[in-house]
Amino acid sequence: MKQLISLEINGHEYDVPVSPRDVLADVIRKKVGLTGTKKGCGMGDCGACTVLVEDKPVLSCITLAITCNGKKVTTVEGLTLPDGQLNPLQAAFVNHGAIQCGFCTPGMLMSASGLLKRTPKPTLYDIKHEMSGNICRCTGFKRIIGAIELASEAMSKGVK
Amino acid sequence: MFMNNFEYFAPKTPGEAFELVGRLGKKAKILAGGTDLVILMKDKIVSPECLIDITNIEEFEGIKYEPGKGMVIGATTKNSEVQYSEIVKEKYYALAYAAGEIGSSQVRHMGTIGGNSCNASPSGETPTPLVALGAKVIVSSAAGDREMPLEDFITGVRRIDLKEGEILTKFVLPEPAPKSASRYAYMGARDANEIDCVNMAVNIELEADNQTVKSVRLVMGSVFVRPLVSAAVPALLNGKKFSDELVEKAAEAAQGEAKPITDIRASEEYRHTIVGVLARRLLKEAFAAAQEV
Repeated sequence: MKQLISLEINGHEYDVPVSPRDVLADVIRKKVGLTGTKKGCGMGDCGACTVLVEDKPVLSCITLAITCNGKKVTTVEGLTLPDGQLNPLQAAFVNHGAIQCGFCTPGMLMSASGLLKRTPKPTLYDIKHEMSGNICRCTGFKRIIGAIELASEAMSKGVK
Repeated sequence: MFMNNFEYFAPKTPGEAFELVGRLGKKAKILAGGTDLVILMKDKIVSPECLIDITNIEEFEGIKYEPGKGMVIGATTKNSEVQYSEIVKEKYYALAYAAGEIGSSQVRHMGTIGGNSCNASPSGETPTPLVALGAKVIVSSAAGDREMPLEDFITGVRRIDLKEGEILTKFVLPEPAPKSASRYAYMGARDANEIDCVNMAVNIELEADNQTVKSVRLVMGSVFVRPLVSAAVPALLNGKKFSDELVEKAAEAAQGEAKPITDIRASEEYRHTIVGVLARRLLKEAFAAAQEV
């Protein structure tokens, strides 16, 4: 039986009918229509589906949507600044060439957002340790790490 | 990849949760972080008719430390909270470190410390240091609480001493002894997002002379059906002055006690060797750390 749940996604309220077994990734993509969030392995291994729930990075492919009733969810679409510009993290990914095929990018950005919210000036170890749940099969980790370092610097100088 | 349909319950109070768990019995599974359960459901290894989500119950969550008394960690406390907690790092270092080595950042933000024990995988990260630190679990139901050491709660591979109507609600850790330190280490196929092939925790307490071992507890993970508490290592070290020779003997003794198997992650022989490597490393690290306390 479907139940109505309320999700605050990127600052907007959505009332969505869900089955208890519906995972958050499917609800975000198919019911809300935000397809930035990617579904990779579907088993919580690859990190492509990472979103923030209450500002914490979680795997939306193994999160039951119904457990997020009343919670704040941030997807990659929610990172963009109100004027439509890329935020410093997104800009750093683009400018530093941290994107190859792009499939892992939304998950990478969300994990990195979660990391920078908790640790605004992460060490190289922090970045590697906290980003290890996101897999890039184009093997582009070096530039991703570099982009997060650049974003951290930019944000510490007040770039929004 | 698709789960069976099930009914979902989200109790807000312990009373509601105990009532549901008691009433639904075997039809229901308790859902905390879901990082193990949802995977098992997607793989159709389990197909419960009902899920009881206990993460909305405040009483089951959080880290409370009282100087001189010890710490109580609610079962639904996220592993990431244990990882980042300054007081856990200070008092129970091995636990904070182990919590930080579970899966990935996302898994740590979802999964709970109670779930890690209830999943009862021999390669689970946090049961090993919890047992080394002398943690007890509180298992609660409408009828009241039961308390037992964690090593008795985990009875085998994916088996726990949880009777129908009961929920694991808390871990109780004793105040660390004054001159003591705990350390944790693991070995796996790689450093990131892996499952340990052997993990180990050591909790050591020294006499005032900073050289004599007052007591030591060494616990091995992933080399037995549940966390394996060494009897031989304390027998060798307690009351003795710490030395490299003794460490060597203790490491060999730990290897003698471990009963590893060969599986997809490592061979029996490799695990056997790694037990010796980790025991040597951890005994020395924990001893050095206890000297600094």
